[in-house]
Amino acid sequence: MIETIAASRCPRCGAVVAPPERFCPRHPVEMAPIALPGAGEIVSFTTLHSPPAGFRSPLHIALVELEGGARFVCHGAETRGLRIGSRVAIEAVDDVYYFSHLGAMDRARLFWRRAGRAGDRAQAIVRSLTKRVWKGTQRGSS
Amino acid sequence: MLDVWVLGADMTRIGRRDDSLQDLMAEAAHGALRAAGLEAPDALVVAAMNPEEFVGDGNFASNVGAYLGLAGTPAIRVETATSSGAAAFYAGFAQVAAGLRRTVLVVGGEKMTHLDTPRVSELIGRSIDPYERSYGATMPALAALVTRVLMARHGVGPREIAQVAVKNHANALDNPYAHFQRAVTVEEVLESRMVADPLRLLHCCPISDGAAAVVLTAERAAVRVAGIGQGSDTLALRHRDDLTGFAATRAAARAAFAMAGFGPERVEVAEVHDAFAPFELISLEDLGLVPPGKAGHATLDGETARDGRLPVNPSGGLKARGHPLAATGLAQIAECVWQLTGRAGRRQVDARVALAHSIGGLATNNWVTILEVERSQALP
Repeated sequence: MIETIAASRCPRCGAVVAPPERFCPRHPVEMAPIALPGAGEIVSFTTLHSPPAGFRSPLHIALVELEGGARFVCHGAETRGLRIGSRVAIEAVDDVYYFSHLGAMDRARLFWRRAGRAGDRAQAIVRSLTKRVWKGTQRGSS
Repeated sequence: MLDVWVLGADMTRIGRRDDSLQDLMAEAAHGALRAAGLEAPDALVVAAMNPEEFVGDGNFASNVGAYLGLAGTPAIRVETATSSGAAAFYAGFAQVAAGLRRTVLVVGGEKMTHLDTPRVSELIGRSIDPYERSYGATMPALAALVTRVLMARHGVGPREIAQVAVKNHANALDNPYAHFQRAVTVEEVLESRMVADPLRLLHCCPISDGAAAVVLTAERAAVRVAGIGQGSDTLALRHRDDLTGFAATRAAARAAFAMAGFGPERVEVAEVHDAFAPFELISLEDLGLVPPGKAGHATLDGETARDGRLPVNPSGGLKARGHPLAATGLAQIAECVWQLTGRAGRRQVDARVALAHSIGGLATNNWVTILEVERSQALP
């Protein structure tokens, strides 16, 4: 199941950025909204051992070049085995984007990495699991 | 455009300082005025990246002007994140070059060590694109993304990067103004704590307090501002295609050399923005001081050591002299002035042309300043 990622395109130079911006970073013109498939290649990645307040250590951050051109910053469950050029899928879990194919347990674990109130976390996990079950149903029926 | 000259320069010892930001500014500013033989300038330019949050003071040009005893002197504040000092120098230069002022005092400083490290990281991190920040990106995190690409695509190895820190720590041993007077080995760098893979603690500059100042004049003096250039780039790292170099440095260097009327081959000493050790390698190539792909080898071969072909960061750089944000661009220029006029003590090199390179944010607003000593004033 591939997510769709909101992006925008410059009518002047064709540059695509994600998430969408109002103006092209390189031209003072309004960008047009487009959607990109949530899949691409790892451009670079790092593991932060002293992340800022609100994040759990270790924090994995990747820069991914999406199919369609835009580069995208996202999180990941781990970077073991990851290489520049690795193909990854992007999934949104409660509006936060993660690379790689994630199982339900991975999703649940990711929530605990991102600090927040316990209630929010539990709710988000339920939402995520519901979404996954629903997606499964969709896949089954198509 | 009038010729602009540096009449005097000074800086504080950099490191953990108990003094207030205003006292640090005064130490550097009054020192530069003394060196210039001037009691008061025609105008004041103040650089501070974030005094509102680091020390809780605003309206900072007037705040510093009044504290220095220059309440009647026209003052402005300049800010371009971590390159604010270099930007303030430009603002002073422009006023003198345009004939608006005969003498301008430029002073920059920052006071950070009284806050804990996470708070300082957060405040510095506000110069990062908000979306990238929302994913926990800090300056070391973005620098790590750049470094991994540099290592994979440019074949730069861990020892070459570590050697930058080793060299700059060694240089700082002879700099009484430096934050660190401690040598480090390649092994110590490679075994230091991982901060943001592949960047380790000893690849990163420290959190420092300090200030630096210069006096600019339209009257002939020992050191002339030969060229100055600015370059800018996207705030978001993800909006850039090339991570093995900084477009903002390349644009700044092109502009500065065009103004100087000569190329990088005439530069004989350079102060380069090594907030992270790999940035020195990237910047040497962006500045044209080393051919593309050669900075790592040049560093390992000692070409950029104090006794090498082109001494780079004889002061110790941001890595070892320290990085009090808005002071740094001016501290680099003060070091260049001292090197050009034979006042650099035990770290003296032989140079007639010096280059200072300052990076603002994650290379969003960069500066290159080229200084030249008058031949009659050069060392014998």
